[in-house]
Amino acid sequence: MKRSSNINIFRMKKSRSTFLLRPLYLGVVASLAACGSNTQEAKVIKNPEQCVEETTLTIQECEVAYKKALEESERVAPKYSNQRECEAEFGYRNCGQQTSSGFFMPLMTGFLLSELLNSGRRHYNPVYTYRGSRSNYRDRIMTSNGSILSRNGRGTFHVSKDTLTKKAPTVKKTISRGGFGSKASAKSSWGGGGSSRGWGG
Amino acid sequence: MIRMPINERPNWQEQADEFGFKFHTLYGEKYWNESAYYQFSLEQIEKDIEDPTEEIHQMCLEVVEHVTQSEELLEQFCIPEHAWDVVRNSFKNGDPSLYSRLDFSYNGKGPAKLLENNADTPTSIYETGFWQWLWLEDNVNSGALPRTADQFNSLQEKLVNRFHDLQFLTPDRTLHFSCCKDTEEDRGTVQYLQDCADFAKLDTDFVFVEDIGLSDKNTFSDVNDHEITWLFKLYPWEFMFDEEYGQHLNSSKVRFLEPPWKSIISNKALLPMLWQLFENHPNLLPAYFQKDMSKLVSDKGIVKKPIFSREGANISISKNATELAASHGPYGEEGYVYQQLHTLPKFNNSYTLIGSWLVNDEAAGLSIREDNSLITQDSSQFLPHIIL
Repeated sequence: MKRSSNINIFRMKKSRSTFLLRPLYLGVVASLAACGSNTQEAKVIKNPEQCVEETTLTIQECEVAYKKALEESERVAPKYSNQRECEAEFGYRNCGQQTSSGFFMPLMTGFLLSELLNSGRRHYNPVYTYRGSRSNYRDRIMTSNGSILSRNGRGTFHVSKDTLTKKAPTVKKTISRGGFGSKASAKSSWGGGGSSRGWGG
Repeated sequence: MIRMPINERPNWQEQADEFGFKFHTLYGEKYWNESAYYQFSLEQIEKDIEDPTEEIHQMCLEVVEHVTQSEELLEQFCIPEHAWDVVRNSFKNGDPSLYSRLDFSYNGKGPAKLLENNADTPTSIYETGFWQWLWLEDNVNSGALPRTADQFNSLQEKLVNRFHDLQFLTPDRTLHFSCCKDTEEDRGTVQYLQDCADFAKLDTDFVFVEDIGLSDKNTFSDVNDHEITWLFKLYPWEFMFDEEYGQHLNSSKVRFLEPPWKSIISNKALLPMLWQLFENHPNLLPAYFQKDMSKLVSDKGIVKKPIFSREGANISISKNATELAASHGPYGEEGYVYQQLHTLPKFNNSYTLIGSWLVNDEAAGLSIREDNSLITQDSSQFLPHIIL
């Protein structure tokens, strides 16, 4: 066969994604951050049932979210070559073996859920409970890159906005914009504003 | 290779809405045309399209090898001097590529002739990889086409697998996708590629080309001030080199898709270089720079192409100094190359162009465009195909 054998048609549909644009509370309880501060208060969601209670998502959406977070965890969780090393950091019986790679990784405690403004795209950031016996961080919640969520009582945490959205680093200061794209606008105004379908070919 | 009429699927417009395929009709004209399809034999696909596609890609890599080692050639390819290191380093470091589309003149018999290589910003990938795939699926399920009908189209599968590999080669980075504002076709194309990257579980984001920012540390940023470390751009390299931020490409440490070395093979100067290195290769047409153009046989027809051009703009065709066809456009100030004319085959009063896709170095599928002019432009229609 010379053609793709498995395309998931359901995932190719775009109209189903409109519900994602509905305003959502998600895991973010409230933004208590003062002006200029880069942290937000967030809740760790432990399972689909808690997700239904804490957010405006339906049970089906919460199940998808939970599944996505588990997938993300498979990808980003700290990996150890043996169970002992993993359990030393994350506790007895708190590690599992990844079938695809053979590595050991901590079981997900829960996940932070957020949505990028205006994009309709959700982010799932899995978190783990640290159990290192001699560490000050024992029993604290941490993300896959080792960021410790500061405690704030009753299951809410102050986290940096980055932790809620994604792993890309933030630049200190953007000094200008628009340094790309000028040729396109010059070329498309050629011939008295002739329409351009784009810059592909 | 034959052109067969077929009934349109009754609900395809609704289906297009559902799948977010918004540019099937452009400026009131049909772009996606499923009132007919092309039928190929497996031998035609494998021997005449698939094999030469992969071979030509390897030949193009040899051209890159030559050009990156010669300042004279970099100049001849009109790559500005401040971008030479960016281009050379990207090739030397083995920066991986995602995809390309080779355009061929082919009528079902004899060798397909390479017209150009869209190696930097190829479009019509959604129509190829998904939409014509769905068309075949529907027509087989409804009994309009036999169960044995196949299609040369593993594009989506190969793209998803390639993104998976790219993540391994570019770990721990978010892949930002970008294109210009106000272009529905480009936006749709980029969304499709982003979807494929998402299927491969990459961490992705989107930023318009015009919204890219520069930080005080000479890095690029998106509208949320997140650093851009890995960027897919549906925007020509030759524009980026010349624009204000072009001078920061070296210090920005961004990995690009397509990588900067692709600017050498998306360039029409590729054509005379290929002819120079592989003269008389069955899939190549004679091509020369201006200084040697007298070597072309004028009564066979000559095609004049700008070094930089997109969507068939600023191309002219002449025979014995008489112009047969010409297209307008904003390109050409950098100079031209000259290629022997190989007229596109005519089916049902339209000229037919074959697009042959590559994902990295593997042939991955085929797309067909029909135009009523000798020069295929963005007004041409897209038709599906089958293998039987």
